[in-house]
Amino acid sequence: MKRTYWVFLGLVLLGLPSLFHSESLNPAAAITMGLFLMAGLFWVTAPIPIYATSLLVILLQLVLLSKNAPGVQYFSFPYPAELAPSPAVFTGTLAHPILILFLGGFMIATVAVKFSLEKNLVRILLAPCGSSPRLLLFGILLATALLSAFMSNTATTAMMVAMLLPVLSRLTADDPLRIALALAIPLGANLGGMATPIGTPPNAVAIGALASSGIRLDFGQWMLMAVPLTLTSLLLGGLCLLALYPPKAKKIDLQIPGRFDRTGSAVLMYLVTGFTILLWATESLHGVPSTVTAFIPVALLPALGLITKEDIRSISWEVLWLVAGGISLGISLEKTGLATWIVGLIDWQTLPFFLLVAGFLGVSVLLANFLSHTVTTTLLVPLALSLGTSGVISGPGEMALIAVSIAVASSFGMSLPISTPPNAIAISTGAVNSPQMFQLGVVMAILGSLLTWFFATWLWPHLLSFNQ
Amino acid sequence: MATSFIIQSMNRAPASLAILCLEDEREVLKAIIRDLAPFEEKFRIEPASNVSEAREILVELKRGGHPLALALCDHLLPGTTGTEFLVELNKDPATQPARKVLITAHAGLQETIQAVNEAGLNYYISKPWTAEQLQQVVRDELTAYILQQKINPIHYLAILNTPQLAQAIATSNLETDT
Repeated sequence: MKRTYWVFLGLVLLGLPSLFHSESLNPAAAITMGLFLMAGLFWVTAPIPIYATSLLVILLQLVLLSKNAPGVQYFSFPYPAELAPSPAVFTGTLAHPILILFLGGFMIATVAVKFSLEKNLVRILLAPCGSSPRLLLFGILLATALLSAFMSNTATTAMMVAMLLPVLSRLTADDPLRIALALAIPLGANLGGMATPIGTPPNAVAIGALASSGIRLDFGQWMLMAVPLTLTSLLLGGLCLLALYPPKAKKIDLQIPGRFDRTGSAVLMYLVTGFTILLWATESLHGVPSTVTAFIPVALLPALGLITKEDIRSISWEVLWLVAGGISLGISLEKTGLATWIVGLIDWQTLPFFLLVAGFLGVSVLLANFLSHTVTTTLLVPLALSLGTSGVISGPGEMALIAVSIAVASSFGMSLPISTPPNAIAISTGAVNSPQMFQLGVVMAILGSLLTWFFATWLWPHLLSFNQ
Repeated sequence: MATSFIIQSMNRAPASLAILCLEDEREVLKAIIRDLAPFEEKFRIEPASNVSEAREILVELKRGGHPLALALCDHLLPGTTGTEFLVELNKDPATQPARKVLITAHAGLQETIQAVNEAGLNYYISKPWTAEQLQQVVRDELTAYILQQKINPIHYLAILNTPQLAQAIATSNLETDT
């Protein structure tokens, strides 16, 4: 049983650092290091589901690292009381503000699907593209990205596949446009996730970790950074697709039937959704935190009967818990002093900021091809932020830049069918094969890394101003 | 991994569900199996030329952990009728969820009523059939089975009714971003 070996190895890694006492590495930091190694191994090899690993991390933190924890008393660690957070700090990550923001996003996505709002949006977004195959390709990229900025990338992909596959089947079998369109859907979904804080879970990981370090990044600030990056990479991605798969069809007949739901409930839903998104995007004008705004749909949609208890049960709670475990681990990493200890291992002073960003986002893109994007971000962001708390990089501005770079870079990890669920769906349709996906994925990983690096080191610093 | 669930089930997916074809005329059975070729990759196709053979196959399938997804049955069989066999399938909890299709040229009104009421018949194909017609019926019935049994549709996207299955993925949260 391979799975048993991984579990055994994980438990060994959990205990190992505690065996080595040193002046600089206090017992609590050693436990945290064990936790980080075990969680990393479990997240990468997945002997248990990745969200289960997150919950296990929280349990171990409660037992070993919280104030008055049984482990602390039993083993009588010399654990400075001021370092030990209360148990509520760890369990509280399950309702971390960024996860409440996500919950708001889930509610909106659920209700939008119920009233077919997403399909109608795609319909009107694609209407101006007419029958030109090239315009249509860009239209599909943009529409998919827009939806996936507010819905899960996976649900968006599945919805677009359901809508567009009948169109593909009307093209001749040898028309490369089929492949281009089939690749455009996962590409748009993966890239669209970058655009807003609620687009995809890695964004939540970065914002959550920054919040733990006392840096607030609001909804609008995120979009100000990520939207131009998303649009640029969509444009480049579309051009790549056209170059690789030039369409043969001169025109394509796209008839998507449907009309907006105009019932009273639907109109109420449009109002709540529109108002919430408007408040999110304009946070810098009115100062209402996005978490507070997120609670508007969370409370009002059930109150209006638009979200039922079945809908509430269908929400992907495990995704929220996966992120919570990462945030929780980040708290111990910083509070126990492990972060400072890790940073002390390497002489960082020799590395300029632009090289640090390049290194972290490069590793992020690479890992994200093989691992869950959330896991990739969860493992890398706390390490990057520890450079800030220990003064290697200067101030909240650079910390925010590096965390956002890691998160968005993970969205460029999409060369394999297993890289992201949208890729798996696209491959499963049979309209595109793995080598074709790999080719585009490698091109996008390279272009995406360069673009993100350029944005993070040149453009974003001019867009952001942080209060120290 | 991000999609370990998908990969694990992808490995398990090929031919885990079964299609049973019961037809006593060898040539006709051959023709049905030939027409089912597009489904071979993802389903076990089990031919049987009489009822006792079909029962043995069902025992084998049960032992191997392969649920029966679809039974295609001729009506006129030596000693019994396809309808009676389908009624039998409908009474056994293990095969009750299977989709049931009768292929026949000679079923009277009485048998047809029995097939609908007691066997839970899902579709009636009258002989002669065309390959496209049979494939469309099989595709629809298998899609209905996948959705009804809440099996992850992702493995069947390419060969069954893609838009319908993709829609199910979109609304069911079977897969989410991680």
